Amino acid sequence: MATEKTDVVIIGVGAAGGILAAELGKAGMKVIGLERGPRLTTADFNPHDELRYFQRQDLRPNIKRQPVTWRPNTNSTATPMPVLNNGNQAGGGTVHYGSVSWRLHEDDFRARSQTIERYGASAIPADSSLADWPLTYADLEPYYDRAEYELGVSGKAGNLQGKKIEGGNVFEAPRRRDYPLPPLLQDQAEVLFGDGARKLGYHPFSTPRAIVSQPYNGRPACTYCGFCQAFGCHVGAKSSILVTKLPEADNTGNFKLLTGATCYRISSDNSGKVTGVAYYGPDGSDNTIEAELVIVTTFIYDNTRLLLLSKTDRFPNGLANSSGQLGKHVMAHMMANVFVGFDDRHLNVFMGPSAQKHTLDDFNADNFDHKDAGFIRGSQISIGTGNLQGGPIALTTVATPPGVPRWGAAYRDFLAQYFARHAVMVAQTENLPYADQTIDLDPNLRDAWGVPAPRVTYDWRRPNERARVEFMQKKMDEIGHAMGAHKVWRAPVSPAGAPGAHHEGGTRMGGDPKTSVVNKYGQSWDIPNLFVIGSSTFPSMSGFNPTLTIQALAYMSADAIASKYKKSPGPLL
Amino acid sequence: MNKHDESRRAFLKGAAVGAGAVAGVGLVPDALAQQHDQHQPAEAPATTAQAHAHAGHGAFLNDDNAATVTAFAERLMPGAPGKPGATDAGVLNYIDLALAGAYADQQDFYRRGLAALDTHCRSAYGKPFAQLTPAQQDETITALEAGKATGFTWPSAQAFFNTMRTHTMEGMFADPVYGGNKDFAGWVLVGFPGAQPLFSPADLQSKDAYSGAPIIGLQAQSKSPSRRT
Repeated sequence: MATEKTDVVIIGVGAAGGILAAELGKAGMKVIGLERGPRLTTADFNPHDELRYFQRQDLRPNIKRQPVTWRPNTNSTATPMPVLNNGNQAGGGTVHYGSVSWRLHEDDFRARSQTIERYGASAIPADSSLADWPLTYADLEPYYDRAEYELGVSGKAGNLQGKKIEGGNVFEAPRRRDYPLPPLLQDQAEVLFGDGARKLGYHPFSTPRAIVSQPYNGRPACTYCGFCQAFGCHVGAKSSILVTKLPEADNTGNFKLLTGATCYRISSDNSGKVTGVAYYGPDGSDNTIEAELVIVTTFIYDNTRLLLLSKTDRFPNGLANSSGQLGKHVMAHMMANVFVGFDDRHLNVFMGPSAQKHTLDDFNADNFDHKDAGFIRGSQISIGTGNLQGGPIALTTVATPPGVPRWGAAYRDFLAQYFARHAVMVAQTENLPYADQTIDLDPNLRDAWGVPAPRVTYDWRRPNERARVEFMQKKMDEIGHAMGAHKVWRAPVSPAGAPGAHHEGGTRMGGDPKTSVVNKYGQSWDIPNLFVIGSSTFPSMSGFNPTLTIQALAYMSADAIASKYKKSPGPLL
Repeated sequence: MNKHDESRRAFLKGAAVGAGAVAGVGLVPDALAQQHDQHQPAEAPATTAQAHAHAGHGAFLNDDNAATVTAFAERLMPGAPGKPGATDAGVLNYIDLALAGAYADQQDFYRRGLAALDTHCRSAYGKPFAQLTPAQQDETITALEAGKATGFTWPSAQAFFNTMRTHTMEGMFADPVYGGNKDFAGWVLVGFPGAQPLFSPADLQSKDAYSGAPIIGLQAQSKSPSRRT
C-alpha cells in the first residue's frame, strides 16, 4: 500500500485529463494522473488488425472486467452492454476515436431559449429537462481555437468572423481564424455524397477532424490507411492526447502518470472538502493519494459512479449531490443509418479516415425551420462506413438490404458485390435530456475489483426522438438517390432500444446550485476543491461529436484553475 | 506485443508443428503428437468434404463437434466455384483456435450449443446436423435464427446461431494469423486489400477495384496470392 501527497490528482487521463495535466503542470502544480489502462505508443499501433481492435475492442474497456449495464426503464433488469466505446488507456477515447472535431453551434448553448423564442415553450416535450448552458459560444470560442491549433485539426472555415465561406460549414458559428490545417483529401464516397447533396440544394463539406492533413508539430501527415475509429494511428497523424498533450505534460517535470491504477473512491473530510483518492494498483494493492485538488475526468459512467461510491455521512447521497441531480439527464446520440450500393463503380470506403468523412449541417441544431416537423433539434448527416470503420468484419455486423438474408449464398454474394461498392450515411441525432435517464450503481453486478458497476437507464424511443430519426432517414434516402446509388437501404435504429453513441450527462453544469452539479468550470457547487470535466457536464448534447467541446472546456477550466483558483482556492463563482 | 499475443502466437506455432508431426519426429512434444494421433479418424473419410471436416482442429473441438461446426459454417458462407466459402477459408481452424485461446470462456457455450443442435436435429430428422442434407441444414439454421428450434436452454437457439454466425464471419475475414481466412480467401472474395499502411491520392480518386499492392497480412510470411483481376 502506497501513500503519497500532491497538489492535484486527475482521475482518467483522456480528452480532458490530458489537457489539464499539461496545463496545470505548466502552471507549476504537482500533478498525479491515475489511468486504469496502459500507456501505449505509436509503435503499438502497427500493424492494424480489425479482429483485435474493432471486433474484440482491444483499446476499449473489457466488458467482463469493467461492465456497464443498461436497461430501458426502472421496471426492467439491466444487462451488460456488449460494446463500450470509451477509452481504456492513457489518452482515453482520443486514442481510438474517429477524430471528428466540432465546435457546437451558438444555439446549441441555448437550446431551451432558442426553442421557446422560435416555437414557443410547448414545442419542448413536457418531460424533457432541456436547459441552456451556463456559458455561451463566445465564452468558449478562444478555447476552441486553442484546442484546434494546439492539438491539430484539419478542415475549412465556413464562417470566418461572420463571413460565410462556401465549401466550409456555412452553418458553423463565427470563428476567429481558419483551421490550422487544410481539409483531408476526399475519397469517392465523399465526392458522390457532396455532388448528391449539392443537387438537392444542401451545403456539404469535409468533416473537421483531429487528423493532420500535413506534417504538424513534428508529426507526419495522414496516410489514408482507413484505420481510425477503433484503432490507434500507426503514424501518429491522429491528434490524440497520447501524442499531443501527454508529451507536454511530461516536459513540465510536474506530472506523474500512474497506469493500471483504478480509482474507487474520492476521500473527503468533515470540513466539506475532498482530501484525495483511493485506488487499486495493477497488483491489486490498495493505495491512497492526498491531494489539495481532485479533478474527475473519466468517461461519464465513472464520473457519476465515483461520486456515488464516495458518499459519507456528511454527503449521504454521494459527493457534489446536494442538488439531487447527480446521475440524471443522461443523453445518447441515436445513429440512424442509410446504406448506398453501386453496381457500376467502386467506392473503396476502406480507404481514408473512416468516420463521418463528409457532412451536411442543413438539418442540425436549429439550422432549419422545425415548425411542422414534430420534433425539435436535429442531426448532422455524414457519409462514411457502416460501423465507423471500413473493414469486412465491420460490414458483417450491419444491416443487409431488404430481401438479402444474413447468411447463405445470397449473403456471400452480397458481401462480394458491395463490400467495395457501398458507403453508409449516418444521422447522428441529438437526443434531449430527460431527468429519468440516469446513471446509478448496479445492485446486481460488480466489476473485477468488486465495485458496483455503473448502470445506465434510458430509452431513446420517445415521440420527439422517433420523429427526428424518421425525418433524417427520409433525408438520407433522398440523398442516396441523388448520389446515383443503385440500392438505397435503411438500417433499423437500435431495434432493442440499446444505447447509441456518445453518452453524455450525469454531472450537469448550470448556473444554479439547486439544479446543477457543477458550475461552468466543472467545479462542484458543494465542494470547491472537486472538479468534474467532460461530456458528463453537458446540459444538452447537440448533433455533434463531443470531444472538441470537452477539450475546449478543459482548456477553459485549466485557465481558471491556474489563474484564479491556485492563488485563492475556493469557489470560482 | 502483449502477453495475450505472445501466447497466441506461440500457440499457433505449436499448432503448425502438430500438423506436421509425421515429418517432424523428435521435434514434436509428446502431448501434441498424441493429440494429433487421436485425431486420425479410425475409418478413412469417404469424401473430400469429410476430410476437410477433420482438418484444421485439434486445439479444442472433438471430431464430431468439428464436423458439425464445419457443416454449419459452410451453410452460413457456402463456397462455390470462384467464391471461397467457410471450408475453403479454414473457419473451423479459426473457431477451434479461438476456443482454445481468446474465447476459452465460451467453451461450454459451444459444448452445450452443439449438443442441443444435434438433439434438435435427431428429433426433427433422425440424424445429427452434419449428416443432414444442405436443405435440411438450412431449414435448421433458419429455425435457430428465428428462435423456433426446440431443445435449447442455455445457450438459446438464437444466441447459438448469432455466435456461430459472428465467429464464422470472423474466421472468413479476420487476418490469417488467427487461423482462418486461409490464403486471404475471405479478403479476395470481397476485394479487401488487408492492412495497407497507406493509400495515395490516386487510389482515393479511383472508381475501380484497388490493385495498387498485394494483400497485406499481419505476418510477412503469410502467403500473398496474386490479386484479383
